[in-house]
Amino acid sequence: MTEALHTGYIGRDILRREDSYLLRGQGKFVDDLPEPRDTIYLGFVMSPYAHARIRSIDASRARALDGVIDVLTGEDLAELTDPIVTEIDFPGYIRHGRPVLALGKVRFVGEQVAVVLAEDRYIAQDAVDLVEVEYEPLPVAADLETAHLDGAPQVHDHIPNNTIFSARFETKGFDPAPAAATHSIRERFRSGRVAGVPLEPRGCLAMPDHTADAIVFYSSTQVPHILRTALGKHIKGASESKIRVIVPEVGGGFGTKAQIYTEEVVAAALALKLRRAVKWIQDRREELLTSIHARDHLYEVEAGFDGQGVIHMLRVRLHTNAGAYSSLPFGCTLEPTGGARMIVGPYRIRNYAYQAYAIATHTCPSGAYRGVAQPTCFLTIEGVMDRIGRQLGIDPAEVRLRNMIQPEEMPWVNAVGVRYDTGSYVASLKRAMEMIGYAGFRARQPADRLADGKYRGIGICSFTEISGTGAPGWRARGLIRMPGFDSALIKIEPTGKVTAYISHANAGQAHYTTFAQVVADAVGADIADVTIVEGDTGATPYGTNTFASRSAVTGGGAILRAGRKVREKMRRIAGQMLEAAADDIEIREGWAEVRGVPGMRVSLTQIAETAYSMNNLGLPPGEDYGLEASDFYDPPLATMANAVHICTVAVDPEDGRVKVENHVVVHDCGRVINPVIVDGQVQGGAAQGLGEALMEELVYDREGQLQNANLLDYLLPTALDMPDIRIEHIESPTIDGEGGFKGVGEGGLIGAVPAIANAVADALAPLGCNVNRIPLRPSYVLGLIRAATGR
Amino acid sequence: MARERVEVSLTINGRTYRDRVESRLLLCDFIRHVAGLKGTHVGCEHGVCGACTVLIDGRTARSCLHFAAAVEGSAITTVESLATEAALHPIQQAFHESHALQCGYCTPGFLLTTVELLGRNAAPTTEEIRQALTNNMCRCTGYANIVKAVGVAAAAMRGDGAAKA
Repeated sequence: MTEALHTGYIGRDILRREDSYLLRGQGKFVDDLPEPRDTIYLGFVMSPYAHARIRSIDASRARALDGVIDVLTGEDLAELTDPIVTEIDFPGYIRHGRPVLALGKVRFVGEQVAVVLAEDRYIAQDAVDLVEVEYEPLPVAADLETAHLDGAPQVHDHIPNNTIFSARFETKGFDPAPAAATHSIRERFRSGRVAGVPLEPRGCLAMPDHTADAIVFYSSTQVPHILRTALGKHIKGASESKIRVIVPEVGGGFGTKAQIYTEEVVAAALALKLRRAVKWIQDRREELLTSIHARDHLYEVEAGFDGQGVIHMLRVRLHTNAGAYSSLPFGCTLEPTGGARMIVGPYRIRNYAYQAYAIATHTCPSGAYRGVAQPTCFLTIEGVMDRIGRQLGIDPAEVRLRNMIQPEEMPWVNAVGVRYDTGSYVASLKRAMEMIGYAGFRARQPADRLADGKYRGIGICSFTEISGTGAPGWRARGLIRMPGFDSALIKIEPTGKVTAYISHANAGQAHYTTFAQVVADAVGADIADVTIVEGDTGATPYGTNTFASRSAVTGGGAILRAGRKVREKMRRIAGQMLEAAADDIEIREGWAEVRGVPGMRVSLTQIAETAYSMNNLGLPPGEDYGLEASDFYDPPLATMANAVHICTVAVDPEDGRVKVENHVVVHDCGRVINPVIVDGQVQGGAAQGLGEALMEELVYDREGQLQNANLLDYLLPTALDMPDIRIEHIESPTIDGEGGFKGVGEGGLIGAVPAIANAVADALAPLGCNVNRIPLRPSYVLGLIRAATGR
Repeated sequence: MARERVEVSLTINGRTYRDRVESRLLLCDFIRHVAGLKGTHVGCEHGVCGACTVLIDGRTARSCLHFAAAVEGSAITTVESLATEAALHPIQQAFHESHALQCGYCTPGFLLTTVELLGRNAAPTTEEIRQALTNNMCRCTGYANIVKAVGVAAAAMRGDGAAKA
């Protein structure tokens, strides 16, 4: 009989173990690591053109500079590396390669055409400016909405109409005009291009390990295992087993650092070839030009509904901007398949069809930024809910409740076949409405509107959040090389202390604290005795790693499974030591005790001494030495969390500025491991969501020039922009997976974007403004108001 | 290209560091690479994000916007000066207890901005705290817990244990 999980630490606000060293300035980020005196610093020469033929590269002046070791071009690197190919296996996807340095052609501003090797970073940057590249500019397709039209300049010769990916789907017997749908809406929703913008730009340090004929590769990455495999694959003659990836402290990731980048492959290849340390630290302009972008999406939606506001037909055509190349490992199918598959959300939509496209353009590759497709697909469906309400004169909250999957209908399989095992859709919406005083706001709204000259509105986003995706979930989106599982190796050391090696990597999520809580409960240890090791491929078992709201689900699940094995062995050993049946042993917080016999107990230390043959007791017959176990956990297709955000805004008609005045969140991520950490994830995500809704946008002009590759012009929210966000939790533990955990990493962002946009739309509805694009920057909002009022 | 070198002497956290450096060497790089104090982080190198905030003669400054040579003779304060071996500074303690950091990259800058704020205003209002913190960007926390931590720190430093942020 397996002992039930005793949650002594799970669910508690335990202060972070990470804080002391970070607060003291002792965190070792990649640029803080000690490096050898002869370290080579890299500087990349980036293309100033979005599309051009490289006619010649003259590096003689750069090479002549004192302190420059060499300058290498695409041809040089092609001898050392293979082009990066994202191996998506999906009908409608067209594969293409990307050389680590451009060969012959460049396809976006910032694409690397040469690399300088220098003795320090200042010299490397000087030399970059001295490399003379002659380009022949070619026509540019930078705009999502025109790049797929006939006659548009092609990004890749073998990809007609720049359509890298296309997919169609209809539910069985799809009816575009069911009789019950007496009303309809057509709308388009457009979202601006944004990026993760972690405060620490990317960087890496490749250090030869001469004794092992190997390299240790330190990188500011979220995916050490996938990175190691990619380096092993793409560097000619390299052996994956001679590469150890270590993740130092990471200054924010948000998905930006869950990709494999060309600079990493170049740095590792050069360190292997030259047998010297090679270091590269990105500056912010490079970060904004070359780290993955996201969300440049267009949704065209049609909904058929009845007079009560119940949807009977939903049809979506969506285009996402893939940029110039499919990024690794997620490629360009993640956003279109994500938006198309998740848009039905917590709603009872059965008659559904989509067409989804990823379009190549001469812009930075897109990738997996926090939330992936969900902020925009919920902007769309939640915008539809509001429009149904406005058309029929029904409150938008009521429209949602009428369409929502009811508690008695759970578990639910949605229109594209994703199972929602548990959830609290109705309860979360009702509670959020109470928290913000929804009815009162609505009652006061006509009087409050313009009381101080500002338009006030309220906006809702009710949504499902896909988290903890397993292998079937990645396969359903074409990602054939994405494993899905994560893993844990738990060792009870001879002294009774516990070390847990987890496949994940931390970028601020507090894994050293939250995983310690789960390990302590899983094996029955005192949390003070538990140490977490992660972010090191030389120490931890393989895994898919840390993105897409995974770590609590996949890491937590792996810990529970490995912990169960260790615990069962301890019960057998303790049973022999205490002359009791193993089934009667309970282990918690460092002690194994015979159930119902207080005082009949042995410590984990005493059990460990027995297991490691460090006393005279001997093991039970047939038992092996040692006290450790590893296990893997591959969650189901998806682990579905849910939440509701509601916020109120004031829109100033004088300058178009939007102020979020109130914001509440009811969040359901199943069993909560550490409430204060979960709230921190929601608050931080909501800030990124506010940025996406109101200010952040990477703007390309028609020539494919990024107009705002700096933090003065790409605006991030500050402390003055953020309202106090009130958060409550409902816990609907997953029944399909381990531990009841659901993911929490992205919900804060996903929900904030549509809630804010809908609040602005609600505020401006009396003017007849149609708010259907983000970001809602002051100039845009002012334009809407002026157009509506004729001022 | 001749690279001019100049003798620079700076007092950082009470200790004097002297070196012949390029005249264009940024203060943040002097702090990090000459003095070896890596707690000062570089986030944007164009003076916006505030991660590299230090105190120059007691006032906050972005160390990526100053040449080391240009602040010759100044007294610089960095995050490494705040805690003792035994205990965190009350501001650091408040950040810890309020969960005011996640990845920790921006944190040293926020701590020094808070040192300056509480040095001139021992009891700031929430609005004054938010105003001061616009000096710095954080991409992880959404600021709520940082604002709270500054209030908690202010109360602790006033010896006003009962005060709430």
